[in-house]
Amino acid sequence: MRFRTGRTARPRLLAGIAAITMLVAGGVALAGDDGENDPLEPMNRYFFELNKFFDTILLKPVATWYDGVVPEPGRDGVRNFLDNLRSPVILANDLLQGEWDRAGTTASRFGVNTTVGVLGLFDPASNWGMKQHSEDFGQTLATWGTGEGPYLFLPVLGPAPPRDLTGFVVDSAFDPLTYIYWDRPKTVPVTRFVVNGVDQRARSLKTFDQIERTSIDFYATVRNLYRQSRASEIANGQYNFDTLPDINDLTFDTNEPNTPGMRP
Amino acid sequence: MPRHASMRAVIAPLVFCAALTLGLFHAAAPARANDDPKAFVDAVAVRAIAIISDDAATPKQREEAFRDLLRETADLDRVAAFALGQYLRTPTPEQLAEYRSLVENFIVKVYVTRLTDYNNEKLEVLSAQMRGDTQAIVKSEIRFPGGRPPVTVDWWLVKSGDGYRIFDINVVGIWLAQEQRSTFSSVIRNSGGNFDALLEHLRAQIDKAEKGDLSGIAKLD
Repeated sequence: MRFRTGRTARPRLLAGIAAITMLVAGGVALAGDDGENDPLEPMNRYFFELNKFFDTILLKPVATWYDGVVPEPGRDGVRNFLDNLRSPVILANDLLQGEWDRAGTTASRFGVNTTVGVLGLFDPASNWGMKQHSEDFGQTLATWGTGEGPYLFLPVLGPAPPRDLTGFVVDSAFDPLTYIYWDRPKTVPVTRFVVNGVDQRARSLKTFDQIERTSIDFYATVRNLYRQSRASEIANGQYNFDTLPDINDLTFDTNEPNTPGMRP
Repeated sequence: MPRHASMRAVIAPLVFCAALTLGLFHAAAPARANDDPKAFVDAVAVRAIAIISDDAATPKQREEAFRDLLRETADLDRVAAFALGQYLRTPTPEQLAEYRSLVENFIVKVYVTRLTDYNNEKLEVLSAQMRGDTQAIVKSEIRFPGGRPPVTVDWWLVKSGDGYRIFDINVVGIWLAQEQRSTFSSVIRNSGGNFDALLEHLRAQIDKAEKGDLSGIAKLD
């Protein structure tokens, strides 16, 4: 009995953390706001450095090893399997967003890849015109009009502003695995989380190094890349030209002869 | 993890493309495609690929080729002004002069010269869309030999005087100049509005690129 409470407490704990951070972050955001909406920046930077440290001593070496030892078909199989396992979550969010076509694609992909694709190790559905896409409850909230909220960077999770952190918690409620392993040892869910992280890291070894090298402030760059990539995911890769900044009259001496609004 | 991981997946090919596309800048230089944005991007791509795939060139020569291309095909002044965001009016004329030359060096040395491996990728121009009379967005894809899915690249062009110039590039959903603006203003803001802090950071990064060059990246493959 004792053990049971211990295990079931975890999702609740996560939900609790999400609720608290939303309150805290929300409260601080009201207090003061700069251009970046990052009121907890000192704390976020601390966790960022912490994650970077653990990346350097643990995740990156493991990912580098994985990348070197496991041949590419093997890694692709792992990726496909994990992606397929996520299908129920993607499907739930497709439906909640009213994306019926994409929901159909997700369901068909799951059927095809689980059977023809040998339990999801292969991705034949992609070759049959059913391309993979990702959805999560953070994106669903965004399509319902919820703002991202103040930026938040957490240990292990990484960038997790309130909307997306909430999405992370709700997504685990959409995931059948959560219930299958509700009061059993968490070996499988934990292994999945770890392997997923290692595989993702292995796929971005070079990229992350390069982004760090090409940035004069890695934390600020990651913050912006996170926001831009989220915005792009939410819009399913589309953007509206009209919403881009107005740069027509932008020069270093706009004040001088060509003041905006005074164009000939 | 999913949050963080998905971001990584999205930006994975980012730097490569940044480098390639910046390379493309230079490439388009002599393009006299004054009125056709698609032809302009096409010409930039051809020139950039020529620079990247020239195995005989020394790193120094490649750098200079990129610099020429950048000067000819990108609207560097507009990019540099945009990247300052709300701090556009804060630098003194001396600071501004140094900033402009640092930005060019930053792009050439930190981004572009990282691009060392060219594996027959092709840039396919897909469509163009106008915004008013002077701006256009050209959509394109980088296609890889072998099964890898293509990467989308959008080009935001601005007509200035004689023809189009590149203002910003969007790689898999991320605008590079917007990222620079966010990072640059963050550096200035975090040092209490001190513009010199930005210059220092730029100098330091360029310096690192010159000294460290490809170490660390070369190790990976």
